[in-house]
Amino acid sequence: MVTVVKIGKLALHYGILIIVLILMVGPLLWMFRVSLLKVGESIAFNRLFNSSFTLSNFVDLFRNINMGRPLFNSLLVGGIVTAGNILFCFMTAYALARYKYIVNRFLFVSVILILMIPAHITIIPLYLLCLKTGIYNTYWALILPWLVNPIGIFLVKQYLETLPPSMEEAARVDGAGEFKILFKIVMPLCKPALAVLAIQVFFTNWNSFLFPYILVTNDTLYTLPVALAIFQGYQAIDWQHLMAGSVIAVIPVLVVFIFMQRHIISGITAGSVKQ
Amino acid sequence: MKGVKLSVFIFSLPWLLTFVMFWAFPLVYSFLIGFTDCTLHNFKFIPWENNWTGWNNYKDLFQDAAFLSSLKNTFIFVLGTIPVTTIIALLMALLVNRRFKGRAFFRAGYFLPSITSMVVVALIFTNLYQRGGYIALLLEAAGFSVPVNGFLYDSGTALFAIMAMDIWMSVGYYMLIFLAGLKAIPEELYEVAEINGASSLHRFRSITLPLLKPVALFILVINSIKSFQVFVEIFVMTKGKFDTSTMVYFIYDTGLATAFKFGYASAAAYVLFIIIAVFSAVQFILLKRKQPVW
Repeated sequence: MVTVVKIGKLALHYGILIIVLILMVGPLLWMFRVSLLKVGESIAFNRLFNSSFTLSNFVDLFRNINMGRPLFNSLLVGGIVTAGNILFCFMTAYALARYKYIVNRFLFVSVILILMIPAHITIIPLYLLCLKTGIYNTYWALILPWLVNPIGIFLVKQYLETLPPSMEEAARVDGAGEFKILFKIVMPLCKPALAVLAIQVFFTNWNSFLFPYILVTNDTLYTLPVALAIFQGYQAIDWQHLMAGSVIAVIPVLVVFIFMQRHIISGITAGSVKQ
Repeated sequence: MKGVKLSVFIFSLPWLLTFVMFWAFPLVYSFLIGFTDCTLHNFKFIPWENNWTGWNNYKDLFQDAAFLSSLKNTFIFVLGTIPVTTIIALLMALLVNRRFKGRAFFRAGYFLPSITSMVVVALIFTNLYQRGGYIALLLEAAGFSVPVNGFLYDSGTALFAIMAMDIWMSVGYYMLIFLAGLKAIPEELYEVAEINGASSLHRFRSITLPLLKPVALFILVINSIKSFQVFVEIFVMTKGKFDTSTMVYFIYDTGLATAFKFGYASAAAYVLFIIIAVFSAVQFILLKRKQPVW
């Protein structure tokens, strides 16, 4: 009797797990399915498996619809912004974690303030600033404001504070310069935190829409989310191509997620549970 | 030590520049032009060279039907999604917290929507919500009546459809945070409770819930700061039509899309800023309180 109850409980647990899983990944699987349908074919739920399977939508995406350029832009901007954040967040975090000067007090307050300020309320002044400085409608507008972020500084600072400063002090006694200490000694030790930071920044940048949309109007500068949203706006919605483009936008994130799951999860939970 | 001082300054320079240029300046600047009537046509970059109108923008905002409806929709969105998201995320965390085969797989699957781009999610659900889309078909099969033009082109359902999508998208993320909170609860507490004969429901109510309170409040704070700024899904799915315009959509629409009223939109942004600040402050006060809320 006891085992019957046990098996029943187990079956119920897995039953619920699987139902929730279907609800959570179903819409994403639907995107993949539609992206493989022939153009013009109706997308009926009951013909999910015996409808056509084709890769031609993906070919069209690069040949006719010109999604190659937005893909390139997203990779370029994402790469530069991620590299910038690794470097600059690390430098600022080091200054914050290791020194207690007046500039640091200001630094700390600035980081905390910005952590709590909703970014979207700055769209109007940022737009005007970009217009005024002439970076509007250039790659600079997609890159410059996002090269360093307070959440990243905080993340690296917390990690740095767990490292003892003895190695840096030894190097300083040996006469090593501050830059050498920073990049040759401390940076390699921070790799785990910097990996988490890199993934977070890349994902945020890769998925961001509002700022790239308002700071750029030239279609050669569109990032992937912007290009997709604008492509949707044309006449009747061409679902097959739109979903194929969406698949392209999802795949890099999916690949990084599969290989770096541990880093991603530790990044999310880093700030939440503190004793 | 002089060299150290200089290098500290150099290390923090990129952030200081970014802070001043792209954070402090925009905040001060939009506060100032919020008191002017500048638009695309009469705009001057120096704030006080514009026509100063005092509190007029703020007064007008609260008589502007479009703004008031965006304010109402934002509050419906925030107050409607956050409790549901938090409860579902907690239930999902409890579901995958035990050890079982395939745990990492299920956890990853539940988290997947959270790392997908909002534009992509909004596009997928535009398809699913349309007339003849599969959510509509499933609900019809279950006996519900579906609006003639699909869920997004009906004022009665559009906002709620977007809210449901938002909940679907974000529960996995908050589930992970709850999981971290559950992991931090010492195992011994449960063991002692079990020895003393506490039922599993009792253990949940007197150990799990109180000890998860800080995590739950952290989730409330970050989720409300995020949800008050809802924009992308509105932009992609309805363009603010069918009674779905939210505050950030209103700011975008009046400031940068149709009217180009920079001053007026900046004032609206400050109203949003103050609402979020008050909301966060209240939650921080709750966070500081030691005794459990429930």
